[in-house]
Amino acid sequence: MVASGSVWGAVGAVAEPVTLLLLVMGVLIGIFRGSLPGMTATMTVAVLVSFTFSMDPIPGMMLLLGIYGGALYAGSIPAILIRTPGTPSAAATVFDGFPLAEQGKAGQAISVATVASFVGGAISVLLLMFVAPQIAAFALNFASPEYFALAVFGLSIIASVSGDSLIKGLISGLLGMFLATVGLDPVMAAPRFTFGYEVLTSGIQFIAVMIGLFGIAEGLYRYQSGLADDGASQEISDILPGWAVLERILPVAVASSVVGTIVGAIPGAGGDIASFVTYNESKRWIKDNTFGEGDTRGVAAAESGNNSSTGGALIPTLTLGIPGDSVTAILIGALMVHGIRPGPGLFQEEPELVYSIFVGFFLVYIVILIVGLLGARFWARIVDFPSKYLWPVILVLSLVGAYALRGNPLDIWTAIGAGMLGYVMRVEDYPLAPMVLGLILGPIAEVNLRRSLQLSGGEVSIFTDSPLAMVILGLSLISLAYPIVQRVRERRTAEGRA
Amino acid sequence: MGGDGGDGESTTETSGSDDEATATDTDGTATSGSGDSGGLASEVEMICPWASGGGTDRTARQLASLAEEQSDSSFFVSNVTGGSGSAGFRRAANAEPDGSTVGVLTVEVCTISHLDISDISPDSFKAVMQYNFDPASLTVHEDEPYDTIEGFVEHVQDSDERVQISNSGIGAIWHLSAARFAQAAGISDQVNHIGYDGGAPATTAVVNGEVDATTASAAEVAPQVEDGPLKVLGVMGEEPVNIFPDTPTFQDAGYDIIVGAWRGLGVPADTPDDAVAALHETYQSVYESDAFQEFMSNNGFGLVYRSPDEFDQFMNQQYGEFENLISNLDLEA
Repeated sequence: MVASGSVWGAVGAVAEPVTLLLLVMGVLIGIFRGSLPGMTATMTVAVLVSFTFSMDPIPGMMLLLGIYGGALYAGSIPAILIRTPGTPSAAATVFDGFPLAEQGKAGQAISVATVASFVGGAISVLLLMFVAPQIAAFALNFASPEYFALAVFGLSIIASVSGDSLIKGLISGLLGMFLATVGLDPVMAAPRFTFGYEVLTSGIQFIAVMIGLFGIAEGLYRYQSGLADDGASQEISDILPGWAVLERILPVAVASSVVGTIVGAIPGAGGDIASFVTYNESKRWIKDNTFGEGDTRGVAAAESGNNSSTGGALIPTLTLGIPGDSVTAILIGALMVHGIRPGPGLFQEEPELVYSIFVGFFLVYIVILIVGLLGARFWARIVDFPSKYLWPVILVLSLVGAYALRGNPLDIWTAIGAGMLGYVMRVEDYPLAPMVLGLILGPIAEVNLRRSLQLSGGEVSIFTDSPLAMVILGLSLISLAYPIVQRVRERRTAEGRA
Repeated sequence: MGGDGGDGESTTETSGSDDEATATDTDGTATSGSGDSGGLASEVEMICPWASGGGTDRTARQLASLAEEQSDSSFFVSNVTGGSGSAGFRRAANAEPDGSTVGVLTVEVCTISHLDISDISPDSFKAVMQYNFDPASLTVHEDEPYDTIEGFVEHVQDSDERVQISNSGIGAIWHLSAARFAQAAGISDQVNHIGYDGGAPATTAVVNGEVDATTASAAEVAPQVEDGPLKVLGVMGEEPVNIFPDTPTFQDAGYDIIVGAWRGLGVPADTPDDAVAALHETYQSVYESDAFQEFMSNNGFGLVYRSPDEFDQFMNQQYGEFENLISNLDLEA
């Protein structure tokens, strides 16, 4: 379906100076906003989309695509530097990115995240160009039973990201799922745990919880451990990844990109689910890993996973007119302003626009690669800033970010409450990852389970009749059992030695 | 207006005597500048109760940027979301009644108090203008053998199993539309209402065959109708929609149903009439501008205008209709 004539026409259209300028501006705006906790890609695109109404469709799309890629990439920067994911999709980047920063390798972690994001974005664009209709057809197979299976698969990851204690991991995961039940129940719209408060009917804001759990909790922890302690000073020398590092991370990044693209193509499943799945699969498949203690491959898996979801999300958007995530939903709106309706006819009616999106999005990731590698050494210095100035500023920014989400003061209290909870969890050594998984996936599992049963009149056959759902549920079982079996085996070996 | 400042944190700005003074100040500046800005406050905040990027937000931002071009005042949109719109409605209803805060009102103003989500009602506001109405549509897969609303009703009556109709969430407007239709056609006991997280997934559920029909708006199903596998049987408006001029209304088919999502503007109930008139004048000229008309039709948003009095009447009538419908549905918590 790729006609070379259209590709060259698209290269010409994207190469217009103004268009290129907008693309680069989009990336820079995206990186700036994405690196502030609480400012998501969706919000930034939504605010700037009205500026594109007066532009031609192609330059306008370049600005928005730049923001989209830039923001998803930049979520990794605060995740690595201050243990606070800038966007939900960067939550899995924290696990290895922050330990690397603590070892004085923040610069290296950022450049690995940059390369991995580039690989993820580039591969997802290639898949978008060559196999979009096939992937879109597959993604359309996802109805309620399959979404339920996918959410269960995601939840099964709890077993492997629980660290030393499975019990603590389960407590953390269940707490996350519980918090997500607050608000109107997703099937009958009955209020749950709202105690008559109107503001609670929309539930506890997930991003506010994350800002608290990570950023505020880390800030409180710093106060306890003493702000005079400035930790390891950052190595600035080997920031550009050498061949040794590239050789280490590239296989992980490429494999994660393919998986991330497919997850991203499923409507409603975005970068957050993609990065957890790729992080977990990489952890399972790489034998000699030190995931969780500062393994560059962990950063690479998470970042290529979440950035490849962007090209993935464009697949159903462009081929079916069904948005892959909330950002692509806005992109559809931006195109409709110009009278262009994404859908099956788009490739015939607007080939130049479609190929410009391919070429432009590829270029977005090249710009991210350049900006990221140049910026890594400066961003890494942020951690060298004296703690007594840095952390108060981060605490204030976290609260501002929580409020900026939707202008609701409740979210500030949510962030503070989650911060105290996160502090206790940190001190008592409870893993945070299961809680994030519970918060994201609990509601997806619940609503799709209940909707499936509503559709089938209570018959479980709606799951067993779907081969796809059964395969995914089978994979969940493996994913659940694997870490436990491994742990038992390790204990046996240890006992054998003793 | 319920609450009277008893709602704690979200209304702290309006309590205390300091704010009274501020109110007079703002009034003063607004009137002194009235020579060139026609009684408009110098800064107008538009509170959008729905998230940025959604349909309401996009139309509000378009209104704000065109209003800024057409007046000397600055207009900006803030999103205050949550509680099925109630957080934003409440913020707007409790703002200083001086014309400096405008609430973007949606059909939920007339539904959420009946659903026991909030005590917000049309009485919380003074109407400024309605600018949009998107009727519900009845949309099915093109493989279905029937092509009319009657055909659908017969199909439901003949079917052994309940027919599944998807909507954008239980209690949300497309669910209420489907319920209203089922009630009018006497098929309430033969349909299942299945809630999804918005109009897009509700439409996708018809595309991949998970449900039989959806009542999402014509604009929401349009991409799947023009190039995709869906067909629209009818729309629940007074007249056909622009994007599907040949699709009949439910009234044509003998059902007296007008249900849909609408958007308009309102100010706190105590706002003086001259401030309302100044706002209305600005927004009306925006509404009539080519730029706004083009924006709305390109996006598939239906253009319907109602003056302050007409909009007020319309909201009260809707409020009553939804009260009847919802009490019959047994949805209250």
